Amino acid sequence: MAYIPWICSRCLARFGTRTPVGRKWRILQWRGLNTNTDSDLSASLLSRARSLAAEHSKLSSYLAASFDGKLAKRVGELAPIANVLKEWDKINESISELNHLLDDPDTDVELKPLVIEDLENSKATLPTISDNLKQALVPRHPFSALPCLLEIRPGAGGDEAGLFAFELLRMYTAFCSRRGFRSNVIKLEVGDGPAEDRLSEAVIEIDADGAYNILRTESGVHRVQRVPATETKGRTHTSAVSVMVLPSFPETGGGVDHALNFEDPSSDYYVDPQEVRSEKMRAGGAGGQHVNKTESAIRLTHIPTGIVVSMQDSRSQHANRKKAWQILRARLAEARQEAREQELVELRRGVLGGVARMGRGDKIRTYNYGQSRCTDHRSGITLHNLDGVLDGGEGLETVMESVRSWLIDQEVAALAADEVAKAKRASHS
Amino acid sequence: MPRLSNSTILKAHQQHPLLPLLLRECRSPDSAKNELRWLQEKANRLISFKKATRSTHAPLGWRRLLNSMCHTRSRGMPLQYILGDQPFGDLEILCQRGVLIPRAETETFTIHTAKLILDSIRGQCRESEQERCLRIVDLCTGSGCIALLLHGLLAPYIHRLSILGIDLSPTAIGLAKKNLAHNIQLGLLSKRATTEIAFQRGNVLTYNDSELGVQEVIRNFQWLPSDLQSHCDVLISNPPYISPESFRDGTTSRSVRAFEPKLALVPSLDTSTIALGIENQEDLFYYHIILLSFKLCAKLVVLECGSRSQAGRVATITRALISGYRPNTLVSIEIWPSTGTVTNGDICCEDDPCVVVLRE
Repeated sequence: MAYIPWICSRCLARFGTRTPVGRKWRILQWRGLNTNTDSDLSASLLSRARSLAAEHSKLSSYLAASFDGKLAKRVGELAPIANVLKEWDKINESISELNHLLDDPDTDVELKPLVIEDLENSKATLPTISDNLKQALVPRHPFSALPCLLEIRPGAGGDEAGLFAFELLRMYTAFCSRRGFRSNVIKLEVGDGPAEDRLSEAVIEIDADGAYNILRTESGVHRVQRVPATETKGRTHTSAVSVMVLPSFPETGGGVDHALNFEDPSSDYYVDPQEVRSEKMRAGGAGGQHVNKTESAIRLTHIPTGIVVSMQDSRSQHANRKKAWQILRARLAEARQEAREQELVELRRGVLGGVARMGRGDKIRTYNYGQSRCTDHRSGITLHNLDGVLDGGEGLETVMESVRSWLIDQEVAALAADEVAKAKRASHS
Repeated sequence: MPRLSNSTILKAHQQHPLLPLLLRECRSPDSAKNELRWLQEKANRLISFKKATRSTHAPLGWRRLLNSMCHTRSRGMPLQYILGDQPFGDLEILCQRGVLIPRAETETFTIHTAKLILDSIRGQCRESEQERCLRIVDLCTGSGCIALLLHGLLAPYIHRLSILGIDLSPTAIGLAKKNLAHNIQLGLLSKRATTEIAFQRGNVLTYNDSELGVQEVIRNFQWLPSDLQSHCDVLISNPPYISPESFRDGTTSRSVRAFEPKLALVPSLDTSTIALGIENQEDLFYYHIILLSFKLCAKLVVLECGSRSQAGRVATITRALISGYRPNTLVSIEIWPSTGTVTNGDICCEDDPCVVVLRE
């Protein structure tokens, strides 16, 4: 037996291993909130996949004869579904064949263990393939390929909310730099008062294609529970910060993607300049050479919806106007998309009963300082490593990943509901 | 100028002790806060730059630097002279004492002019226009901002450009050349700009063909060799347009009066003014520029004016000159508000600068 010197426990804690002791109990906790991922697909989903695959084969045979840009795009969208479905069919076929072999009394006895082994292998791969199929079936979000704007605003909770909003801003900038996304703060407003760490509004531009899809999970109300720095009696406060992820449209439409070209009046995301009132916040009196005002603030008001964007960060009025337009466009596009989704939910309600949809008004995540805990209310994940989340590091990544899989599950459920509704309608008529 | 209330000053002081200083010039807490932020950014940048280069100057902390900057600003020094530059479109224009600071209105109308030029070129037949080079003359160029921004906006669409900026002041010409080099170095202008933009000294007001006469300068200027006629396509200018009265009576702000060059603001009194039959001294430049545009056969003339009434007077002068010199040509005269015609929602008032556009 090796000789082990006696060391007092405190010394061990102080000089001992570099690995933090606390790591032991940073365990992932999953609560039963998220829908269980069943490996077998519902019949309605499968039928949908089959019809899409049939469309794919039809279109690709048509494309072989003559070329059409629109059709080619559609085929590109359908290709993954068709491929995964093919794989799924193959696996199912082999499983049934193996089962048949197993049941057959004529099969060699020596062959049987091999068959069982093969069967087990096939069954093990089945869940991942059906998951892939589900993911492929979920329609892509229209903005998923775009860079995004992230808007942070304190909600209820006064000063404390402003303080926490600043921390969220730091968290997301750290997250972006970790992921290698170029991010810059295009609007930063701090609240009145001597301290400059109370945010009243911030907008970060994340200039990476597909950033919208990654950060989509962050839209909603983030709740914080802690003893604020401003609290004298040691009471825990609860305050809220709202985060909004908006699509950032490319500067010039370029004509590549017509659906997202905001300058095209027929596009869904077109904003008519006539409907926007722009005001320069400048005092009256003579202008031009007579004065040298440094006020460069611009305020845009979209009259039909009443959305107001004001911008004063840059010294150039031109730059302020450009950024204000970018934000206005993003907000309108998000609002329109939201309205469309809401419509779909209304349609589904008849089938699924009360479908809970996570809107931007819902509380999505709680950061509890006292327990050093971060809980996401959608996926139900709880991390006991608050610092890791607030650093924008792996903790945040884990939470976002869990939410993403939750979102896919939701979409799949919605798809299944759609199919059921369709079948019902078909049977009625 | 209404007096600042004590409560405003007190509230500003609570937020930052330097804010009351800036309030003296800014007059509104919001703009004072913005200026403080910009000054802070500048001070931090200067100090970190000094630390990086280990300069031998006395190490001034950023707080002291900011303090001295705010004191200078409170005495009326324009912010752009303290910071040393001003964004203009996508460009960064350097500013220094003795040269007019580019204004936001000028920025808007330059961008609008570029749009106008591009539209008219798209309307014409393609091939013949591609070969020819577009000639632009910018009179009273000052820091060179209009010439540079026009190049920045037009260069991606027009293959051959030739832009000449003319100013009387040698300081302005020096600064304009510096701005050209500065923006090319920053990558905001393409490399073509070195050969396609030139700045030269010239006097718009001289009549006799002395060496500095603007006509002589344009004639002697080496346009890119294609054809040898001395005409130009676009004439653009932001000439001095403040009358001596409004320079004195408080319409012109203290900071402009004390720190910006009078040469760039008020047309100098000339004995010929009376002889020409111009009633208002502030309209002197327009008379000369419009005459020049006839001689150069300019297809598009864009002139910034101080107010609606001045724009009206310029239109009258133009009509008189057309009937006198070129009765057979059809020229359309338009007056835009400085905000351009694109954003109709902008609220425009009588005192805002406007633009007079003459088109053949």
